[in-house]
Amino acid sequence: MLADNNINSYLLVGAVLFVCGVICMATKRNGIGVLMGVELVLNGANVNFVAFSKFTRLGLDGQVFSLFVIVLAAAEAAVALAIALNFYNNHLTIDVDRASKLRG
Amino acid sequence: MVGETLRNLLMIAWLLPLAGFAVEIFGGFWGTRQSKLAAWLAVGCIGAGFLCSASALVIWGQSNGWAALHRGGHGDHGAAGHDSHEHDSHGGAEGHQDPHSSPPATEHGASEVNSAAATHLLTVAPAVSAAAGMLIQEPVAADASAGEAVSGQTVFSGTIYSLATFGDLQLSIDYYIDSLTLVMFTMVTLIATCIHLFAMGYMSDELTEEYVDHHAHLSNGHHVHRPGRFYRFFAFLSLFCFAMLGLVLAGNIFQVFIFWELVGICSFLLIGFYTERKTASNAANKAFIMNRVGDFGFLIGLMVLWTFFGTFQFGSTYAADGSVAQAGLFEMVHRDSHGKLLTDAATGDVIITDASGNAQLKADGQARTIPYYLLVVAGLGVFAGCIGKSAQFPLQTWLPDAMEGPTPVSALVHSATMVAAGVYLVGRFYPMFVQEVLLTIAYVGCITLFMAATIAVVATDIKKVLAYSTISQLGYMMLGLGVFGWGAGLFHLITHAFFKSLMFLCSGSVIHGCHHEQEMPKMGGLLKKMPITGLTMLVGVIAISGLAIPGTPIAFSGFHSKDAVVASALGFVKANPGHFLLFFVPLLTAGITAFYMFRLWFFTFIGKPRDRHVYDHCHESPAIMTVPLLVLSVFAAFCAVGGEEGVLYKLITGDQPAHIAEGIAGGLSASGITLPNAHSIHAPSESGGLSIHAQAGAWALLAAFAGALIAYVLYGTELVNLHEVKQQLSGAHSFLMNKWHFDELYDGLFMRPSHVIGKCCAWIDRTIFDGILHGAAQATVVVSKWDRLFDENVVDGFVNLLARATYSVGDSFKTIQTGRLRQYVMFIVVGVVALFAVLFSTFPR
Amino acid sequence: MTPEFLLTAIIFLPAVGALLLSLFDGRNTDVLRFWSLGVTILTFGLTLQMLMQFDSSVGGMQMQVAMDWIPAWNVSYRLGVDGISMPLVLLTSFISMLSMVASWSIKKHVKGYMVLFLLLESGMLGVFLSLDFFLFYVFWEVMLLPMYFLIGVWGGPRKEYAAIKFFLYTLAGGVLMLIAMLMFYFNSGATTDSFNLIELAKVASGAESTLASTLSPSLQITAFILLFIGFAIKLPVFPVHTWLPDAHVEAPTPISMILAGVLLKMGGYGIIRIAFPLCPYGAQYGAWAMVAIGVISIIYGAFAALAQTDFKRLVAYSSVSHMGYVLLGLAVWKINETTGATENRNFWLMGINGAMFQMIAHGISSAGMFFMVGVIYDRVHHRDLNQFGGLMGRMPLYGGLSAGLFFAGLGLPGLCGFIGEVFVVISSWSFSPLLAIIAASGVILTAGYILWAMQRVYLGAEYKGPHSEDITPINGRETAVAATLLAFAIFFGIFPNYLFRMMSVSTTELVQSLENGYQKAATSAAQMQAMK
Repeated sequence: MLADNNINSYLLVGAVLFVCGVICMATKRNGIGVLMGVELVLNGANVNFVAFSKFTRLGLDGQVFSLFVIVLAAAEAAVALAIALNFYNNHLTIDVDRASKLRG
Repeated sequence: MVGETLRNLLMIAWLLPLAGFAVEIFGGFWGTRQSKLAAWLAVGCIGAGFLCSASALVIWGQSNGWAALHRGGHGDHGAAGHDSHEHDSHGGAEGHQDPHSSPPATEHGASEVNSAAATHLLTVAPAVSAAAGMLIQEPVAADASAGEAVSGQTVFSGTIYSLATFGDLQLSIDYYIDSLTLVMFTMVTLIATCIHLFAMGYMSDELTEEYVDHHAHLSNGHHVHRPGRFYRFFAFLSLFCFAMLGLVLAGNIFQVFIFWELVGICSFLLIGFYTERKTASNAANKAFIMNRVGDFGFLIGLMVLWTFFGTFQFGSTYAADGSVAQAGLFEMVHRDSHGKLLTDAATGDVIITDASGNAQLKADGQARTIPYYLLVVAGLGVFAGCIGKSAQFPLQTWLPDAMEGPTPVSALVHSATMVAAGVYLVGRFYPMFVQEVLLTIAYVGCITLFMAATIAVVATDIKKVLAYSTISQLGYMMLGLGVFGWGAGLFHLITHAFFKSLMFLCSGSVIHGCHHEQEMPKMGGLLKKMPITGLTMLVGVIAISGLAIPGTPIAFSGFHSKDAVVASALGFVKANPGHFLLFFVPLLTAGITAFYMFRLWFFTFIGKPRDRHVYDHCHESPAIMTVPLLVLSVFAAFCAVGGEEGVLYKLITGDQPAHIAEGIAGGLSASGITLPNAHSIHAPSESGGLSIHAQAGAWALLAAFAGALIAYVLYGTELVNLHEVKQQLSGAHSFLMNKWHFDELYDGLFMRPSHVIGKCCAWIDRTIFDGILHGAAQATVVVSKWDRLFDENVVDGFVNLLARATYSVGDSFKTIQTGRLRQYVMFIVVGVVALFAVLFSTFPR
Repeated sequence: MTPEFLLTAIIFLPAVGALLLSLFDGRNTDVLRFWSLGVTILTFGLTLQMLMQFDSSVGGMQMQVAMDWIPAWNVSYRLGVDGISMPLVLLTSFISMLSMVASWSIKKHVKGYMVLFLLLESGMLGVFLSLDFFLFYVFWEVMLLPMYFLIGVWGGPRKEYAAIKFFLYTLAGGVLMLIAMLMFYFNSGATTDSFNLIELAKVASGAESTLASTLSPSLQITAFILLFIGFAIKLPVFPVHTWLPDAHVEAPTPISMILAGVLLKMGGYGIIRIAFPLCPYGAQYGAWAMVAIGVISIIYGAFAALAQTDFKRLVAYSSVSHMGYVLLGLAVWKINETTGATENRNFWLMGINGAMFQMIAHGISSAGMFFMVGVIYDRVHHRDLNQFGGLMGRMPLYGGLSAGLFFAGLGLPGLCGFIGEVFVVISSWSFSPLLAIIAASGVILTAGYILWAMQRVYLGAEYKGPHSEDITPINGRETAVAATLLAFAIFFGIFPNYLFRMMSVSTTELVQSLENGYQKAATSAAQMQAMK
């Protein structure tokens, strides 16, 4: 089944990446770690986009979308890192559990 | 010309006191309190008024050749006099004939022609008017209007200025001058001048900056100290003279009413002159309000007259061309030669006529009429005013109280002039009175004269005795007028004015001399101390008692006039035997009058002094007070010389209403009263004995002598113990001392109820109307409170509930908002998984 | 001066004066007073100028002004004057001037007082001069508000109560008037002239008019009752008079003068200017009731006055009594029941003229009486009749002037009160003898309460109340006010014809048009009856 060059393998990889990312976000207390989890999730989604672009009649749309996601991820990483730095400056840590100011 | 001259003279006499009032009241207020200037000014004004009036009288007499004096007999039928109807209506030829050729001998004859002409016209006139349906313009009317073309004209009327005009209705200030007006003017101004002079002496203790009123007390028991009010007194007197003269000059009944009220207010001001004294202000209020009660009747009379006649004027008014523009009241009620009113045959209503004696027609061709009973109402209404002003029963109680005013006021206002205004008005308005009204007048006068005389018998205050005698004498005048003795009543008015003002001034002189002691029991034997006062008083007493020496012409004025009144009464009673009281009561009262007047004189001037203190300090008054006494005593004694043949009587009756001379036959009116003419009174009786006049005179004289004699026995000698007499008759005495309990009666009958009603009205306002209002307000408040509760609980409650629910939901959600990032991620994961699970389970492929 | 300018200036000069006054410094009270006095004097001068231009031989409206105001609702700015409003305009500016002189005694918030006073004067003049129903209504309400504050702020101890009572009563009347106004507006077609009082009166009287129709007879009765109640409250007559004693007692002296002198006249003016001409059928329908109400007011007011112990309340009730004569005089309209023709027209004419005269006379005498009460109140600060006495000795000039003014109120001949009262009473016999007699009995009661009050206040040996040491003689300013009023009382009492000449042509025309209007309405009513 894996040898078959069909969409399921790609989707499987995307799903694994996605789940890894989610687990990373849910378990890491380190802000950077969470950020990395986000990247994993995004890239899992990217794999899916590319796969659908290849195996369905979507054409280049999926690939364009994934390019967007990459660019967006870069921007997001920049902003998130800036937030992390600021957070660190204020709290001398990047433990996200300490950032509970948004509590209701 | 004559009319204008007379008008101008009388208007000067009338208006001068008004000008005097204005100057005195303001000048006095800003001037010094010690100045007598105000008094001299007042005397000057009224004195000049007297000169004007007297010269007016002379001019008037000259202009008509003293026609009034040359009349024959007792003004019996067809007397030349006034009856403006006659004047306007009889043919031109006769009209011119009689005044020009008016030697005494032919006068009587000419009048005969007059009345014949008038009678003739009466029969013709209705026919003419029925045919033509329009007014007849008589040629004579034109020259009557001009006022001077007929030299024999004796009545002058016209308008001074207009008050208001409404369509055809006109109200104005008019003048009406006839012999009565002129005599009244002269009398009022003469007496007023004397009284002004007297008052200058009497009121002289007011000439100070610090007057002490011994009759008014402060709450700390001290007497009142105040600046003197000499000027104010004379200003009020001047104002009073103005009002009184205006009343006499008035040419319409409305104007009479105006000045009627004005003399009322002057009386109010003068009675209440000592404003500090509670009794004085009470008396002033009482006088004015009781007068207003009479005026209420007067007003009703005015309303009836106005509604049915449409004019208030006595005489006709003339248009520019000399035609009659508006007939006067006196012409509108037409009597034929038997004194019968012109009536509508079908309804019995009285027909209103124009100046020529023809029926006035309405727009629909019907004659204007007035129901007979309304004519009675009008007459009674006007007479009600006279009752108030002349203090007749039942409105007599104010006059004795009015003696609170200074004595000159009592003399001028409350005996000689103002109270006589009621009598004057009855005389003036005589043509409008029908038999029923006259009978009422007679009975009212009869009751009054008896009642007042009885009270006077027991009164001990010297002024009160005179006050009651005034009421009694006014009753005589009313009686005289009521029994068709028009001349007699007014004759008595004039003579009474003289002797009563004299007596009041004498009493003033006594009071002044005794330092304001008015109680007779404290006097006695004053003749030695004040001889002039005592003797002049005696003149007055004899005059009012009607004493005379039988068989000689020696008699004072009161004898003649009272004689005339009693004679008229006897004539009336002979014609109407049912009303015998109208003769016997005045006869009895003539005796009572003599009794109480001599009692007064003996009490005061004869006998031993009863109060040493008063006697010792008593003194005769200064010349300025005694001279007026002497002047007035001369008039009181001699003004009526000749009785009904004398000058005064003839002057008064010169213009008497025409129907008086004729009398009114019984059976023509509803009441069946016969009103005898003057002729029948004076003619010898059928049996050849004494005339009615002589009989009545003899009886009256007898009564007077009897009264005087009893008074002498009781008070002049010491034969009878007065104290015992008083004890014996204590019941009657206290009844009389309490003035027949009229004050208590009125207090209970009118005063208290009106205060109670007033309180009720105020209570109704406060409790019912305001209660309703407050109730409504309260109800509104209650409703709005409920409204508020509803708003607060129901409407707001619903909204708040919603909000609270939302809030609590939000509140409960806030617990999951932990702020933990990782938890959120978990939520997302779980949520997405759950979402997918739901999606997949719900929508299977 | 052109009518446009003159009439507008008369109405709005006080308002402009008030506007400028609001820019002044409130602390310098004398400047404020003299400025306001100047404005009122100037207004009075303008009304005198109007009198000069006035032609009393013309019956209809003169110096008419007509401009669009709110064209969408057919409301115009319409002014004019005739023999009925002319004397009232003069009275208003005259009494306002004198009350302004009397206002020197106001010490609290002078600026606000003066501003409101001038606004009030504008409102009053506007009521008497406007010929547009809507404009009339606006002025009617405009005048209300300053009055409310003048009583409510500067009044006595129960001022709030009195002010609210006054306000609510008048407002209730105003609402009824508003309803009637709309009835007329919509029943006359809601066209350009539907608020025009002159045209409405014309169409009601059957004369040629730009309007096509007016109310039917039955609607006339409804409208008349609404209008009558509205104006009767203002007049005031029994039983809607209870606001008056409270308002008068609590109001400061100058405002009492205005209230009695001018405001009450608006009721009478409204009846004669609006209620009668616009609904002649209704007026005739209600004539008997109105006469009866007038007579009851006369007697009731007099009795109530007799029972008062508060000096000002007594004068206030005397106003109720005196205004009863106004209503009585206006309403003595007798018709022949069968033909519908007016009977004894001249007596009715006399009644109307007498009522008009009574309004002016009462304006003078009662303003004077209130002023006299105010003078003594300013000194001793109480009004209890039983705690006065002896003032004639303490203040002789004041006593003399008061006596004159109270005698004018008593209806003494030679003073203005007499003419109005007596003319009204003697004209009323032809309407109903019984009611005439009852009305005439008022003269006794009037004499009773006035003399009794005078005795308790002015006569007697000494002053019995508190603050005896504060009794000072009347000063020049007070003398001037009282003497002026007394002089006019005497003048009109002796020469009433000056006033009658001014009014009689207009009133005669009014009577004629009312007669025609009644005939017309009666005919149409009869036709309606026949159709049924």
